[in-house]
Amino acid sequence: MIIAVAGKGGTGKTLVSALLIHFISKKNSKLLAVDADPDSNLPEALGVKVEKTLGAVRELFQVSRDEMGTMNKEQWLEGKIYEVVCECDGYDLLVMGRPEGEGCYCFANSLLRGILKKLMRHYDYIVVDSEAGLEHFSRKTIDSADYVIIVTDSSKKGLTTAKRIKELMAELKINVKDVFLVANKVNREAMEKIKKFADDENLKILEFLPYDEEVVKIDVEGLPVTALSENSEVYKRVKKIVDFFLEVVA
Amino acid sequence: MVERKKVEIPAGAKVKVSLGPEESFPFDISPMYEGERIRKQDMFVELGGPTQVKFELVMALPMDQVEDMKVTVVGPDLDEMEEGKAYPYGMIYYVAGSKIETDLEPVIERRNHDFQNYIQGYMHLNQRYDIWIRISKDSVKKGLKSLAQIAKATMMLYKNELPFIEKIEAVYITEKDLVEKILKEVAMPIYDERDKRVEMLHDEDVEEFYSCTLCQSFAPTNVCIVSPDRPSLCGAITWFDGRAAAKVDPEGPNRAVPKGQLIDPIGGEYSGVNDFAKRESGGEYSKIKLHSFFEYPHTSCGCFETIGFYMPEVDGIGFVHRGYPNPAPNGLTFSTMAGQTGGGKQTIGFLGVGVAYFRSKKFLQADGGWYRVVWMAKDLKERVKNYIPEELRNKIATEEDAKTLDELKEFLKKVNHPVVTGVVRPVDGKKITEGWKEVVKEVPPVAKPVEVAKPAEAAPAVAQPAVQPAVVQPTVQPVAIQPVAPALQLFQLPQPTVAPAGIKIIVKDAKITIDKVIIRRAEKK
Repeated sequence: MIIAVAGKGGTGKTLVSALLIHFISKKNSKLLAVDADPDSNLPEALGVKVEKTLGAVRELFQVSRDEMGTMNKEQWLEGKIYEVVCECDGYDLLVMGRPEGEGCYCFANSLLRGILKKLMRHYDYIVVDSEAGLEHFSRKTIDSADYVIIVTDSSKKGLTTAKRIKELMAELKINVKDVFLVANKVNREAMEKIKKFADDENLKILEFLPYDEEVVKIDVEGLPVTALSENSEVYKRVKKIVDFFLEVVA
Repeated sequence: MVERKKVEIPAGAKVKVSLGPEESFPFDISPMYEGERIRKQDMFVELGGPTQVKFELVMALPMDQVEDMKVTVVGPDLDEMEEGKAYPYGMIYYVAGSKIETDLEPVIERRNHDFQNYIQGYMHLNQRYDIWIRISKDSVKKGLKSLAQIAKATMMLYKNELPFIEKIEAVYITEKDLVEKILKEVAMPIYDERDKRVEMLHDEDVEEFYSCTLCQSFAPTNVCIVSPDRPSLCGAITWFDGRAAAKVDPEGPNRAVPKGQLIDPIGGEYSGVNDFAKRESGGEYSKIKLHSFFEYPHTSCGCFETIGFYMPEVDGIGFVHRGYPNPAPNGLTFSTMAGQTGGGKQTIGFLGVGVAYFRSKKFLQADGGWYRVVWMAKDLKERVKNYIPEELRNKIATEEDAKTLDELKEFLKKVNHPVVTGVVRPVDGKKITEGWKEVVKEVPPVAKPVEVAKPAEAAPAVAQPAVQPAVVQPTVQPVAIQPVAPALQLFQLPQPTVAPAGIKIIVKDAKITIDKVIIRRAEKK
């Protein structure tokens, strides 16, 4: 099952992704976490350090390919990608890293698509922290998503982005089973606004997450989401989302 | 050539031998296990990989030297390994068959990756001296206890899938010193030899080229033809890559293109390539010459690493790469030229090529190859320096020698570049250019504005000093005047300069083709 989490930066998208990963990994370690947003810092939110990214490997491929002689480039690239997959406690983590530089990436991306497809089919769960532009989905480096969770706050910009993501999904013909909305940092008043928005846009609201001092605190201190106490409302509610995916959906 | 013979196993080494095919295996074998990643926590041991010395090698031997289905394991076997540790790993296969020659070794070796990945609980990555293997705890639990079982399964797959292998024998080594020694003394020289063979392999040695249509999404009429002497212009795909991809997916973006009849051995024109190009471009063009700059050149998609541009003023070709930000001596930047050339068109006067093409023995051979190259961006020249014929290395200018056409002319005269006196193309000794004609200086390069009846800006007419091509720019239609080959439809960008009217244009020793000249009175505002 591929779950993509998308939304405007700052809405708490990475917090939700990291918590999803945290809870799923406790139940099933055949889990791949993908950081597909060069602006986010999923590894930090998970409390792990990642040295190398897929982007760096792709760049290395671009500069070393002339020297590969008769070597098989797909095997070379595959080997390097497996090297950058970080083996964390209970899950694997792949950081896509920076976008392409100049030059032609047609061949590199064509190889990547094949390699990631093969890699991904061996995981039970894949959680993708994706930027709002869904670049990796549009380039098909990530083939598809079964479920998309759009994270928004109650700001106009957050909602506009949510709407755009939904439209983009349709445009890209990603064969999703369902698109959900998770509203973050909401008070009662905002709840009504978001409910109306979800109705208008035909989006299912998965959960409302309240404003949480503890979340702000770990954010300020750069602590991983695992530092959240189990009594935290956000912690409890994201756990509910995961239970939904693990039980109801599966 | 490196001599092919069985590796010597030192006396006293710990050796385990297993003969004959295995009855059954304690693991599943299926293509569905391809891509299976064995995670560190599920791993029993790691063989090779980032921390250990390792290699895999296939050697073709005479029939009588190979003992079919024999496995020799040298060094600690699986049941003697410590869980969670990494070990050195060398895999050698001796193969024999009436159709097997050394040429086939790399083809057979490459399949080790596929076949070993069919084995459940066994992860094989990469190739040659980069291999990385993991064996899962689960497999060991289910009864995997010797590398001989892995070798037997692999050999069985080899014989099933590649029936031309009549005999196969394996030696697996986990003893560090021996892996190191064989890697250095046997495997590396063989890998080097193979890579050298790439440079020795030419268009005439193969039956098929490969196409690449990966770029058709944005250059719909582009068809890249990848031959041994002409890698793709994006620099990513060699003939070997094309062959590998075509084998995996014959209907994919890289397809086999039978060469057909050789029509022009110097330009590199083949009937099979022409037919393919015609079909795949939707009839956009009917001929492609692989090694020609001026006649039916290869199309350029937009992905090219470097662009070649003809400068009629010096009758030579310059090359600039994507990373060079400044204008080339023709006054244009890479991106301006790329914009004109890309999109899958045959644009005479500009040609996109990959950096690897500079290594080709047939590099633009129809047009004199290196002998026609007059300018290169310095970084690019550095990258391919070793492939430039020695006598020319100092005759090809870079931005340090010349930034403008005038400086380039001076430089070329000073070093006596072949274009000055006429280029003799090495491939057949034919003299293909006349060299520069005497320079006539009847018109100063910049004339002072002269009072004319009409306002100056209303009648922009550009004229360049006599001899070499003058680009005339009347109000409407740009007209290119070409001094060189009359048949060429040279593409010229209108020069941005506006020279005052009232100067004299003298064009000497030139043949002029003009489709249409429209001269209109400028409308008054």
